[in-house]
Amino acid sequence: MRGFLRRRILWTSLLGAASVTLVSVFTLWEGATTRAAYLTGWLLFGVMVLLTGYNWFKKIPYLPLGRSEVWLEFHLYAGVFTGLLFLLHVRGRWPTGWFEILLAGLYAVVMGSGILGIIISRGWPKRLTARGGEVPFERIPLVRRALCEQAEALALKSVAELKSATIAEFYARRLQSFFAGPQNFLSHLVEVRLPLNELLNDLNDLNRFLNESERKVSAQLVELVRKKDGLDYQHALQLTLRLWLFIHIPITYSLMLWSIAHVVLVYGFSAGAR
Amino acid sequence: MDTVHFVIDKPQRWDSQFDPEMTEAEVKRLMEIRPFSEMDQGKFSKRTPLTGILLNDARIRRFKNGEIIVRAGDYGSSAFLLLSGHARVVLNPGLPAKVLGRRKSQNKTLFQIVAQLWTNPRDPEVRTTEELDDSSAFQPVGRRMGVFLQDVPRILDEHNTATMSPGDFFGEIAALSRAARTSTIFAVGDETELLEIRWQGLRDLMRFDDHLRHHIDRIYRERTLATHLREVPIFRRLDDQQLKRVIEQTQFGTYGDYEWSGDYKRLAREGTRSPEKETIIAQEGDYPNGVVLIRSGFARLSQKFGHGHRTLNYLGAGCEFGLREIAHNWTRKDSVPFQHSLRVIGYTHVIIVPTAVMEDIVLPSVPREELPEPFTPEELGGATNSATQLKLDAGAKIGPQLMEFLTENRFFNGRSTMVIDLERCTRCDDCVRACASSNENNPRFLRHGQINGRIMVANSCMHCADPVCLIGCPTGAIHRGEIGGEVVVNQATCVGCSICANNCPYEAIRMVEIRDDEGAFMVDKDMRPIAKATKCDLCSDQIGGPACERSCPHGAMRRMDMNNLDAFARWLNR
Repeated sequence: MRGFLRRRILWTSLLGAASVTLVSVFTLWEGATTRAAYLTGWLLFGVMVLLTGYNWFKKIPYLPLGRSEVWLEFHLYAGVFTGLLFLLHVRGRWPTGWFEILLAGLYAVVMGSGILGIIISRGWPKRLTARGGEVPFERIPLVRRALCEQAEALALKSVAELKSATIAEFYARRLQSFFAGPQNFLSHLVEVRLPLNELLNDLNDLNRFLNESERKVSAQLVELVRKKDGLDYQHALQLTLRLWLFIHIPITYSLMLWSIAHVVLVYGFSAGAR
Repeated sequence: MDTVHFVIDKPQRWDSQFDPEMTEAEVKRLMEIRPFSEMDQGKFSKRTPLTGILLNDARIRRFKNGEIIVRAGDYGSSAFLLLSGHARVVLNPGLPAKVLGRRKSQNKTLFQIVAQLWTNPRDPEVRTTEELDDSSAFQPVGRRMGVFLQDVPRILDEHNTATMSPGDFFGEIAALSRAARTSTIFAVGDETELLEIRWQGLRDLMRFDDHLRHHIDRIYRERTLATHLREVPIFRRLDDQQLKRVIEQTQFGTYGDYEWSGDYKRLAREGTRSPEKETIIAQEGDYPNGVVLIRSGFARLSQKFGHGHRTLNYLGAGCEFGLREIAHNWTRKDSVPFQHSLRVIGYTHVIIVPTAVMEDIVLPSVPREELPEPFTPEELGGATNSATQLKLDAGAKIGPQLMEFLTENRFFNGRSTMVIDLERCTRCDDCVRACASSNENNPRFLRHGQINGRIMVANSCMHCADPVCLIGCPTGAIHRGEIGGEVVVNQATCVGCSICANNCPYEAIRMVEIRDDEGAFMVDKDMRPIAKATKCDLCSDQIGGPACERSCPHGAMRRMDMNNLDAFARWLNR
């Protein structure tokens, strides 16, 4: 059995066992006390602290605390476990009042961003690899600038050497903004190539008005457009692979703060309650 | 903005003596002892006179009875000349590790590791005065805390040993081939005195003195061959007399360039790397005139495919070539030629045992069932799906394209190559941040490198089996770690000459301008910045091993031994 599959089976078994145990204990506890929500509440809070701790774990890689890969797997399956805990804690009912809605909303955003994060983390690297043209994220602006300068030089060359402004005008009208910065962000994310095809079609149409020498320049521009499109693809996916954490982590800390406030309020207003 | 400079002397060769306590008087004494008394000083260059080599690249060491001089398995970059007293070399099988008193490498304590949270400097490439203080660097631990064998008489009873007498050289194999020590040698008696010569000095001595070069060549071959052949299964059954006859008729061959990285870089730039341009050791279709045993370096095993050659595998130290053909011909009275070609990649040192010797002495000593299986008619007809062929064909396990990629780029040299599975890597750079955090905020690799399919080999030190970066270091600052064999740079003795960085074929060593505790650049008297070589040290001072590998949340990165392609294949297909 392959490594990934074996590990998935192991973690799923652990999650299943933990879930069955939790539901059984909760059922017993609920029959015995009116404070069953305290059990699920503290358990949920404890697991959330562990989940938040993963972010701290990544900041101290020199401590011999095991492999991040294993901790991420724990993070994922424990995250799913909190879903069950959350449902038991709220007893499957919709939240009422702004405080509950806020807490539930923050939880939903953290859970949702986490699920989105793991989906893109598992799927998008394959897309990046299949597309090729790997560029480290920090170097993308440098490469973009180099492509822009090459395209601009070609456009200017066509005026100076070929005594024709057709390509230069097309460049100013259609390509300048394309090379100036990242383009078609959403199209790249959803793997739609319509914007690229439109641009290439326009370049192809332009060929009707070009002579042989100009067509050579146009062909070079097509090559640069393809490179720039590949670079934008790398930029869009790599940026999103980083950006989702900027939602997941800050909202997690926000959720933790509001959860602490929730605990304080619960104990503050529970005097005498049984 | 005012800039404060920390002025120090620009380091020079021999600024740092191998042993600061080595004196002119001791050099004078050495000059009266063979082989130095017989050396022609006129042959030495003015920049590196014989007396200068002895004063700066050598030191006199005295050992007590039972004290270990060199241990099998340790990496060392110096050779020894026995001046007085005696020493004993432990023959195979060697001493158990416990008897050898192996020490753990110098890991940080848990407190020191936690303290990195607040002690990591804010500025890049800061070096503390302790780090640059060479007094501790030139006092090896072995000198202060010698390791002694307990119960020497019992060891002499239970193990085969050979006596070494004044005038004997040893350790030159490890020093010159940058390999692990093959034997343990310990002092006998309390008056054992040795001259230890670091390999830079030994290299210069051999360059300028023919007699010493021939002498070391001879003993190198004798000892290497006897030890090496004893380790090859097919020669194990030979008695001493038979082995001696084999040794007498064995040939040696050194192919390629000892400092191959320069040539490799040129070919890579020109894009002209191809198997057809590599020197052939043995060619497919030729009569098998001997078994080729690879002693050091690497060779490409290839087979004709269409109009080109397909790489099946690369063979490193300890591998053999041609045995199956010779055994087949001997048992079947046949004349099967070599079925594959063997080509040099970089530098390869081989031992060739001629076919006649194999047929007369070696093969008759081996039981038939232990001989390689004869070729089947299908195999000789070109079938590539036999069990033996598949075992040999690493390309079948990891894919032929990846096999060519590893060979073409010479990544087979790596014992801890950083490979990244791009289909798992989210480009999050957690590995780079972890590396920086574990190295005073200085990342020691680039998450960038050669790509083949879904595999990237990142620009990180691979801690090579054949570390060409060690060649040419004037002070021995770049060296093998004592236990793990990882290649590390001693910041105290690095003179910033860039030789290692230029030699490294994988662009894994960077030269950096260093700063002091306050963040100011350190400069020499001419106000030129002081540069040091930096590279990955496999987090050798951290408890948990390489931080980069541990920090990858998606299991996309591994440090792989590229000579264990089965493990690599398992990882690829995990």
